[in-house]
Amino acid sequence: MRRLSLICAALCLVACSLAGMAQDLRVPASVTAGDGVTIPTTGSGKATFYLLGPGISRKGDVSLGEEIHLQAKDLRNAGDYLALVCSDSCHSGTFYVTAAKPASLTFLVHPSRVPVAQDDAVSGVTFTFDQFRNLVLTPATVTFQLTAGDKPLVSRPARTQNGVAWFRTASGKSAGLLQVVATLDDLSARRAVQQVASDPCNLRITGQRIPIGILVQTEPVHDCAGNVVSDGTIVTFSATEANGKSTVDAPIKQGVARAQIEAQGATVVSVASGVVMGNELHIGAKP
Amino acid sequence: MRFPAKFASYFRSGVRLLGIFVLLFGPALSSYGADSTVQVQLDAKKASPRAVESLTERGILRDYRFAWTSMAQALELSTLDPLEGPFAGQAKQLLRDMIVSQQRSGLSRQYVNQTHRLEAVFYAPEGDVMELHDTAEYELRISDGGKIIHDERVVMHFVVLMTPAADRWVIRQLQAVPES
Repeated sequence: MRRLSLICAALCLVACSLAGMAQDLRVPASVTAGDGVTIPTTGSGKATFYLLGPGISRKGDVSLGEEIHLQAKDLRNAGDYLALVCSDSCHSGTFYVTAAKPASLTFLVHPSRVPVAQDDAVSGVTFTFDQFRNLVLTPATVTFQLTAGDKPLVSRPARTQNGVAWFRTASGKSAGLLQVVATLDDLSARRAVQQVASDPCNLRITGQRIPIGILVQTEPVHDCAGNVVSDGTIVTFSATEANGKSTVDAPIKQGVARAQIEAQGATVVSVASGVVMGNELHIGAKP
Repeated sequence: MRFPAKFASYFRSGVRLLGIFVLLFGPALSSYGADSTVQVQLDAKKASPRAVESLTERGILRDYRFAWTSMAQALELSTLDPLEGPFAGQAKQLLRDMIVSQQRSGLSRQYVNQTHRLEAVFYAPEGDVMELHDTAEYELRISDGGKIIHDERVVMHFVVLMTPAADRWVIRQLQAVPES
């Protein structure tokens, strides 16, 4: 009787271990996005196979003991995948799909318009993505090149960290288009920044009396690097005479700002643009 | 032993009041409950090159928690509506694909008792994108036609890209990665 119970126990153990092996699932440790994969199974009979991952939740029938083929289109998205095989009970395995090689660069550059000769005024950030828009986390070297006209200003390599590389630099000396290019092997992304003149420098005015008052105008307005200050920049003329003060704002047009001031007596005209002051002009009273 | 008639009347009124309270505040309580199951901590001290302002930190915490609450709801009920708002770009597209795929297969996922330890690792100089690393812990339940076929407590690592939208931060990339 005791022997019989021992045999029964041994048979039970064998049966249990066989049942456990009946639907073993061996998933790969890691897969590259866009690659197909074969998952071998053990056991026999029909089972239901489930695949759950980023962008996918599918199920289908499989025969245990045969291989399960996962197509490349099922594994395009980087992330964690759960494979499940269920017949009497369920067995699972998880694996990761990692990004493929870089296929595109997302490149953000700021600002779109910048005054010249400003420290740390231009910055750019680039993210590396594979052809399936997965963020590529493997470090790679991105080269940032800044060119004004035909003149190269900066060329700076930067290693991506967690899929991102960035730079920050001063704006150039001359107004005009600044080309900013990020390059990684044969990939590149190009952005443009408009460099404009900085604050006016050496603001000077001339003026003359006319029948209805005084006509004042600036000399061509430049910044300290000699760039013509952008049209539309406001220049403020102030006229002080014995009986009061008046102010006129005038935009720069083609490098020059003009204003007509109604003043009959002896007048002192001053000029300013932003925080920059110009010369004073003394004009006598109307004869 | 029998209760006096007066006591029974008080009891009935109490039950009625409780019923009215549940009807009035039930939805609010349940939505609070759903949200409160997602715990998020954020460490923004290592973010560079730009430092994360405290107001931004609060915004990230609020919006990341909301995003995971919405995602869990969307994947549990296999419905697309909760994705409107907290997700954009690739992250939104993947979740949409996932839900459409769930609707076809009859599968659903539940993320239960979520905790997220977020670390901001990159904040762009102009503040227009932030990369975060999330160590998330939750119970993942997979159901097929309402029957749970898989239930496991998991620890996951995510790389997250968030960008500011009109009134919130949105998730543009949510990519699970192996533990480094």
